[in-house]
Amino acid sequence: MIRVRALQKVYPGATVALRHIDLEIAAGEFVALIGPSGAGKSSFLRCLNGLIAPTAGEVEMDGEPVTGATGERLRRIRARIGFVFQQFHLLRRLTVLENALIGRLGHVPQGRSLVGWFPVADIARARATLQRVGLGGLWDRRVDTLSGGQQQRVAIARALLQEPRVLLADEPMASLDPALASTVMQLLRRINEEDGITVVTSLHVLELARAYGRRVIGLRDGRVVYDGPPDQLTDAVAAQIFSGAQP
Amino acid sequence: MTRTARWAGWVAILALFLWSASATELSLLRMVEGVPFMLDFLRRMVPPDFSVMGNAVRGAVQTLQIAVVGTGVSALLALPLGFAAARNVAPSWLFYGARSVLNVFRAVDTLVYALFFVAAVGLGPFPGVLAVVAYTTTVLAKLYSEAIEAIDPRPVEAVAATGATALQVLRWGVLPQLVPQFLSFTLYRFETNIRAAAILGFVGAGGIGFYIQTYLRMLDYPAASAVLLVLVVLVMLVDFASSRIRARLV
Repeated sequence: MIRVRALQKVYPGATVALRHIDLEIAAGEFVALIGPSGAGKSSFLRCLNGLIAPTAGEVEMDGEPVTGATGERLRRIRARIGFVFQQFHLLRRLTVLENALIGRLGHVPQGRSLVGWFPVADIARARATLQRVGLGGLWDRRVDTLSGGQQQRVAIARALLQEPRVLLADEPMASLDPALASTVMQLLRRINEEDGITVVTSLHVLELARAYGRRVIGLRDGRVVYDGPPDQLTDAVAAQIFSGAQP
Repeated sequence: MTRTARWAGWVAILALFLWSASATELSLLRMVEGVPFMLDFLRRMVPPDFSVMGNAVRGAVQTLQIAVVGTGVSALLALPLGFAAARNVAPSWLFYGARSVLNVFRAVDTLVYALFFVAAVGLGPFPGVLAVVAYTTTVLAKLYSEAIEAIDPRPVEAVAATGATALQVLRWGVLPQLVPQFLSFTLYRFETNIRAAAILGFVGAGGIGFYIQTYLRMLDYPAASAVLLVLVVLVMLVDFASSRIRARLV
């Protein structure tokens, strides 16, 4: 359960990313976050796992405040939240398996992780997860030899290996071509349905939000302007969300 | 830039060149006059006298050893200095301090340090090692700091987002980006240090240069050319091996 209260984010130079956001996301939901670029989607997601600190307001994850958490407590919260980035954010010189194992850092003994000697069970788990996202057998390939779609699946495997309660995805399809985009979308849906992991993903394509979202949240100028099922997201409403959007 | 400014720039460069050429007594005539002497010099170097091979190889091995120890110690010292001189890691007082120190020490070349250390600790390979360390540490620290500044922050953020500790972020987000580059820079400096260490013997700081200078002074040109040949082979071997390894690192 994610609870967001009066969330506000202002960057230095008075750029307002989030004006005032109140919402709750129940465990197991699949939420598509839409809005024009600059609407605050990335800032919102990054406030949820404490990658950035909000200017005002609060974020709670399973009853535990994320806002203001530091050190060990923040790490424990983050370990339960997977984050998938638009541009994958992999270590390009490391192998597929090594990148995936980074998702286990919150679970394995720190000393062993520092010398790169991961427990056998964690390696087996990483291989199984890579198999599941369709990358079986590519374990020892350097990730910079993979296609964009494969790289994004490595990143999803990394997030899944955290055994997260929540998976946040920041426009995970924006760097991929349309055919790959629906594959990744289906993967996120499967993760949501089979593992019961809450998924919150921002999307730049309205069609994907309509096709895959169970709940759509429309952001504009740092405010929620739509929150409801995809079938009530008429063209008129969509036009309202995106109208006057900066290119 | 306007046309006039561009022309003025070219004229200034030309003037600087002509001024320097006349001051350094640049003269084609004198060079041509020198050709017979150069040929004579070369003629006296052949055939090389390979009876001094023992000395030549001993000198080459010592040059290699000076470069290995000098580069190794420099790499260790350059690590903390590199982080201290990286704008995105170090606090600004440390950054400016470290950068200034590096720039000052880098202005002086290895051979000058060798003169200093020979005077300080006496003749032999040890002052040579110190000279290599004094110069190479600053160069490597500069190269390391530039690599640290060019690090991609995105994977670092991704590792932090998994709930990793600061040490884990360093190990899995930062080091994979830096280690191959650090190794590559260090190998490159090792190649350069072989050449630098080869002339350290001229000022009494050990290595193959000692024999080159000794035989030239004794006017034993065949022996000098044998030693030079060994030096050429050493440099070529090290360059070849090192560039092969570097190509695989990046």
